[in-house]
Amino acid sequence: MQGQATQIIHAYRQAPWRVQRQWIGAFLLAVIGVAMVAALYLDVTARAAVAGREIQEMRKEITTIQRENADLETQLADLTATAVMEKRAVELGYRPVQPGELDYVAVPGFVLPEPAILLAADDAVSSVQNLPAEYTQSLLEWFEDRVKLGGLR
Amino acid sequence: MRQQYAIRSMIIAAGLVLAGLAVIVQIIRIQTSDQAKVFLSQGDRYSGEFQMFYPERGEIYDRNGHLLAGNRTVYEVGVSLNEMESPDSLANILSKYLGLGYDEVHKKLTESPKSWEYVVIRDYVGVETVDALQKLVQDMNEADDSRLNGLAFKPHLQRSYPENALASNVLGFVTRDGRGYFGIEEKYNDLLAGNPVQVWVPRDPNKATEIPRVPNGTTLVLTINRDLQAKVESILDQALSDYGALNGTILVMNPRDGDILAMAATPRMDLNNYGNYFSLYDNGSQYNRSIGMAYEPGSVLKVLTMAAALDTGTVRPETTFIDTGAIEVGGITIQNWNRDAWGQQDMVGCLQHSLNVCLAWISSQMGTQSFYSYMERFGLGHSTGVDLSGEATGRLKVPGDGDWYPVDLGTNAFGQGVAVTPLQMLMAASSIANDGKMVTPHVLYSMLRDGHQYNVPSQVAGSPITTETAHTLNQMLAASLEQESSQALLPGYRLSGKTGTAQIPTDYGYYAFHTNVSFVGWGPTDDPQFMVYVWLEKPSTSIWASETASPVFSKVAEQTVILLNIPPDAVRGQLVTK
Repeated sequence: MQGQATQIIHAYRQAPWRVQRQWIGAFLLAVIGVAMVAALYLDVTARAAVAGREIQEMRKEITTIQRENADLETQLADLTATAVMEKRAVELGYRPVQPGELDYVAVPGFVLPEPAILLAADDAVSSVQNLPAEYTQSLLEWFEDRVKLGGLR
Repeated sequence: MRQQYAIRSMIIAAGLVLAGLAVIVQIIRIQTSDQAKVFLSQGDRYSGEFQMFYPERGEIYDRNGHLLAGNRTVYEVGVSLNEMESPDSLANILSKYLGLGYDEVHKKLTESPKSWEYVVIRDYVGVETVDALQKLVQDMNEADDSRLNGLAFKPHLQRSYPENALASNVLGFVTRDGRGYFGIEEKYNDLLAGNPVQVWVPRDPNKATEIPRVPNGTTLVLTINRDLQAKVESILDQALSDYGALNGTILVMNPRDGDILAMAATPRMDLNNYGNYFSLYDNGSQYNRSIGMAYEPGSVLKVLTMAAALDTGTVRPETTFIDTGAIEVGGITIQNWNRDAWGQQDMVGCLQHSLNVCLAWISSQMGTQSFYSYMERFGLGHSTGVDLSGEATGRLKVPGDGDWYPVDLGTNAFGQGVAVTPLQMLMAASSIANDGKMVTPHVLYSMLRDGHQYNVPSQVAGSPITTETAHTLNQMLAASLEQESSQALLPGYRLSGKTGTAQIPTDYGYYAFHTNVSFVGWGPTDDPQFMVYVWLEKPSTSIWASETASPVFSKVAEQTVILLNIPPDAVRGQLVTK
């Protein structure tokens, strides 16, 4: 009876080459999986690195633009300084007004304007405070995030 | 045979496993060893750097939006020593373009410590020079000439004053270390400078994050009217020339809200070249004489004595006084400015002829307690609270002080023996021009920060006299100017004011031939919209304020009514009725 049973088992065992092929297949599948994950990780990392570089470049650009803006404001003030304007006015044939030469006209409803409000010249810069997670997360962090959220997002 | 291969394979596999295990063990050992902390800290140290981000210093504008203090780009010129190929060529070019000695530059390039990677040749180099240098570098690069390799330009901002010396006494200046000195720059240094932020900047672009926004320093808008300031400074300079005065000060203020519209003083300094400071000023109090220097004002203080006397009911405008030319107070005889007796006078006459004897009599009638109580209420001996740095408090001796004598009651009444700053006098007199309410003078109109404008409200410093007293004295001062045919008058406008000619004290008495001349006045009398204070030091063409300070006041008033669009009284009356 025991001999018959052994024969039956042997009859159903796979051929050795089939087992080897299955192992090789599983191994290759694992390698392909790992390679895909690695490629994805590399892609995300590269994108993050590029985004990081862009941030650094933009930061420099902002600083440069702010400096140029300050320069231009000062240059404009240089060109419209009191002494410069007075000189230009004299060159154009103007002279200071004398008290007797002024005419005052009543304008109904006219209210003397308040001193100039300079808010337009203020440095209210809109700031991108929240970068998308795609630019800051690693693949592992993204995966961890998904696990924590239970795949709800 | 197969068994032998199997054994060999097993041995090789075991060897590889052992080698792998050894690597893992070594990794773990390194990670957990004592040196690991050192390696980690070294790694952290070089993974980035702390960078300090300095905000742009806030700008300063006049009340009409004209820039008085801004910022401009300058460059630090340096050399990266690792990239340098020809120290001789660099020294030659840089010494020529930067105005430095060849040996000095060459020494920096060749004798710097070996650990240095970068050396600064010169900072605060202007744009024009750097543009020329950059073009030269570009031309040489295009010609494959590497002799200027290593040359670097680092831009940064520097304070700049487009109006140069205009309002320099009000603005103050900023040194290269970024600190403000004098005036607005010092008073509001913290606001203007903003808050620098230190940030860890990683070198790994994966870890690059946005630098937190560093808000610029607060921008300030002043009450100063740039055009009026320029006119007043011009008038002051002309007055010093015309009357041979050593120095001078002119203030223009709105008596309703304390806005200082112009504040001129001498000497002035080109703020873009603040290195001249030590050649222009002996000490800090001279930087802005309007607030920093106290002096005996003389007869302009009579307006305060008269205001106190009217307010207490000691005298009325029509009260008569027989001037005999002398009065004894505290055992000392006080005389008039010309030592004459002026006979019977009413109170307008006392002001019109500026009679010391009359005013000394008035203060004596009031008594020490009442007189000094009023002088305190006018703010004498205390700072005005103006928002400028370097304000002096002056000195009002009061009974009980070791150096107070009974005669001071008489002399203080006409402005001798008491020290005030021009701004103190202007503030005290504002109570007469502003219906009895004394305003706190101020220079800051508003602050701009983060897109919001914060206006500075005007402040009432007190009400030393009643509205009725203020109106009465206002009319008396206008009448006294008119009856005197003063040179302070301005055709078409009724003005109120008072001259002051004061002897100058020394350690041994008073100068015989030198005076300080002053004038305090305002207008239009029926609706005061501006106040003017003039102080000229030691005029040489005439020692009298009526011949020096009065015409200066008139000129300032003339320009003020033009620039502030104040029509003549007759026109204003017609406009109001329409």
